[in-house]
Amino acid sequence: MGSGIKAIGGYLPLLRLDRKLAARELAWSGLGMPRAGFRAVADWDEDSLTLAVEAARGLASPAPAAFRFASTSAYFTDRAQSGIAVDALALPRSTRATDLANSRRAGTSALLDALLSGSDEIIAAGEKRPTQPGSAAQLAYGDGAAAVRTGGAESPARLVGHASLTHDLVDHYTSRDHPTPYAYEERFVRDIAVAELLLPAVRAACASAGIEPAALAHVACADPVSGCWKAVAKKLKIAPVEHCEVVSQKAGDLGAAHALFGLGVALASAKAGDFVLLVGFGGGVDALVFEVVAPVPGAAEMAAMLDEGERLASITRFLSLTGSIALDWGMRAEFEQKAQATVLERVGRDMIGFIGGRDSLGNVQFPKSFYPVNPALTHPEELADVRLADLTAKVVSVTADRLNFSPDPPFHFGLVQFENGARVLMELVNAPQTGFAVGDHVRMRLRIKSQHARLGFRTYFWKAAPLARPQLGEA
Amino acid sequence: MAQGIKDKVAIIGMGCTRFGERWEVGADGLMVEAFTEALADAGIERDQIEAAWVGNALDDINVGNSALPAAHALRLQRIPVTRVENMCATGTEALRGAAYAVASGACDIALAIGVEKLKDAGYGGLPLRTKGLHNDLWMPYGSAPGTFAQLAGAYAARHGIAPADLKRAMAHVSWKSHQNGALSPKAHLRGAVDMEKILGAPLIADPLGLFDCCGVSDGAACAIVTTPEIARALGKANPVTIKAIQLSASNGAELQYGEWDGASVPNTQVAAARAYAEAGIRDPRAELDFTEVHDCFSITELVIMEDLGLSDPGRAPADILDGRYDRDGAIPCQLDGGLKCFGHPVGATGLRMAYEVYNQLQGRAGERQRAKADLGLTHNLGGAPFNSVAAVAILGRLD
Repeated sequence: MGSGIKAIGGYLPLLRLDRKLAARELAWSGLGMPRAGFRAVADWDEDSLTLAVEAARGLASPAPAAFRFASTSAYFTDRAQSGIAVDALALPRSTRATDLANSRRAGTSALLDALLSGSDEIIAAGEKRPTQPGSAAQLAYGDGAAAVRTGGAESPARLVGHASLTHDLVDHYTSRDHPTPYAYEERFVRDIAVAELLLPAVRAACASAGIEPAALAHVACADPVSGCWKAVAKKLKIAPVEHCEVVSQKAGDLGAAHALFGLGVALASAKAGDFVLLVGFGGGVDALVFEVVAPVPGAAEMAAMLDEGERLASITRFLSLTGSIALDWGMRAEFEQKAQATVLERVGRDMIGFIGGRDSLGNVQFPKSFYPVNPALTHPEELADVRLADLTAKVVSVTADRLNFSPDPPFHFGLVQFENGARVLMELVNAPQTGFAVGDHVRMRLRIKSQHARLGFRTYFWKAAPLARPQLGEA
Repeated sequence: MAQGIKDKVAIIGMGCTRFGERWEVGADGLMVEAFTEALADAGIERDQIEAAWVGNALDDINVGNSALPAAHALRLQRIPVTRVENMCATGTEALRGAAYAVASGACDIALAIGVEKLKDAGYGGLPLRTKGLHNDLWMPYGSAPGTFAQLAGAYAARHGIAPADLKRAMAHVSWKSHQNGALSPKAHLRGAVDMEKILGAPLIADPLGLFDCCGVSDGAACAIVTTPEIARALGKANPVTIKAIQLSASNGAELQYGEWDGASVPNTQVAAARAYAEAGIRDPRAELDFTEVHDCFSITELVIMEDLGLSDPGRAPADILDGRYDRDGAIPCQLDGGLKCFGHPVGATGLRMAYEVYNQLQGRAGERQRAKADLGLTHNLGGAPFNSVAAVAILGRLD
């Protein structure tokens, strides 16, 4: 097999809920499992698409031939999110783009297809799954994303074996009429998943790779319920290091992104010559065996990301951010900002790509205009594209606005100046505990810009966030 | 520079409603109230008015667009009526339209009227827009306090002033306006407030607290303008005249070009320089007797004092704390309480400022009367520091 993983990326939102906090809150009810570790919690303006784009940002240059977006929690049901991602990443319109949905296995299946076809692709999986308060899923799940860039035989992690099984095991489901997970008994799921799906697939993948299971050094297995991989390892009498569990502990089950994020963590630990097993689960199983020949770009950053974050101290805020409760924000929250398709068609690509313009004298401005803002230029001219999304900037002025409605107040916004001279009035997110200050350095993050709840539509734009994140610290 | 309109236009009548939460009256009633007072003051009949400019900024929720709401409310008899809108500078824009019409000779007597009915929004602060156009795809939609609050951090950074010291100077701005507002019978907020209460108020947009923010009010104000010759013929022996009226609008440079640090409002500087030149003012600190400026927020007034050249750069906090702009100071600011306490019905505000100057110049300001009141300035600011329209007008007596 002449294909492999060229690079990998991940993204977790800043906030982490300490599950103990939720467990204490639910103690009266007997609900609230699991009780250990953290759950990554997306901001109100993050969704599965923005998370996936953030995970894929480091993989997008040079442009791939195809972009695949995998998620079970995509916002739009008939608007290709992969197409929005192509614009957000400023990829060419000739990029083949596909959305894959309806299975947590969508990410690994897309990866396997890309590797088997030898295609140069980005597979980006993102999840922000709605859950019901009190359910195990609400605390077990996490919001996050992972992305993989496939490549040829020169890749640092080469595909050497694989196997897939299709099996409609209903461990849980969501549907249009039941958008939060409905889960069946864990003992039943574990028994069937291990015996009928995981064991046969792992054995077949190892056979395909020409190795014994004992040769596996690292594993990233997305367990449908806890303990599945342990049972598989016990049955196979092997003890490789499994890496999805630490993702579950520190961020939560990331759904379609879970196995891929675990793969990133596994690759961060792997050394040349190691065999790494990737297992995706959902309506069947994909098992892929990689041989690591060199460090995989992006893997170490994914492992480090697990320990970064800010504790989310309020259960009410957690419930609000996850859409589990609807707070009465007052009349100002009645504001709905409608997006016009005509406007999106004219300028949407520059907006979501955060593309400004460079005038003939070299000044960069955002947004573009017919007459350049540069007063030295007195006639209309065509401005050359300049992408601002990947540049850092400095805060010129800023405030924490407590009057303006925000689903997660206060609303930070201010003027920032980019390293190339462009300046843009922007929203700021992930405020440090001390707030933002003039002179702070910031980087750009893709976020939801506007949400029209009644019409079920949203737009996306970039917001400024601190360059670095705090360490999460011990629970 | 062009010759300008200095002393070519006289104000012969003005009116202003009580500003505030006028639950009992709509925009039409507010306009009638201000207009009736102005007609009586001018000593003319409605039908002597040949053209009108109506200023109204937020048509979506209150007055309605076009000339028609004013034409209907005042039953103007098929004269040319023009609606103007330039955000919070709308009131001065209406006055500018009427003044230019008279100065050009296009008409003899013109009306400028500004009105806003904000308290039908259902909540505090300014109402929200909903258009969904290009800017909505990228521009943050912060509140008005949020946009102006950013002046504070930027000002502190530019001048190396401690945030707590700046906050105290800002609090003094509000304290002073509350003192003045208490003497204004038509003001929205008429209670004096002590410094500790101002400093301890809840935050609205960091570092602006509740008392750093102006009231949002219902109200209307209007002016009737004519030529000095006609004014005299109407019995106004020494009429109030417009010495200058200038406006400067952002072209996007603050947001898109250069190194503006967010600690000043360039349009105020430009409009003021032009207005001083038009009025023939060389030393505004010595020549201006008082000002009415756009103190939508305390930090705005502080920065305006420097942008108008009344304080040296970085000195406004000290000048404010020294009382230079207090009622008994060298150049009082907001003798009527300003936006902060008189109120801010957006489209009426610029004309309300002119109303106070007009009354002061004629010795009709009651308890607020300034002993020496020969030359007064109004400064009316629309938009936000980073994207603004600034209007500066200077009024005095003809002789």
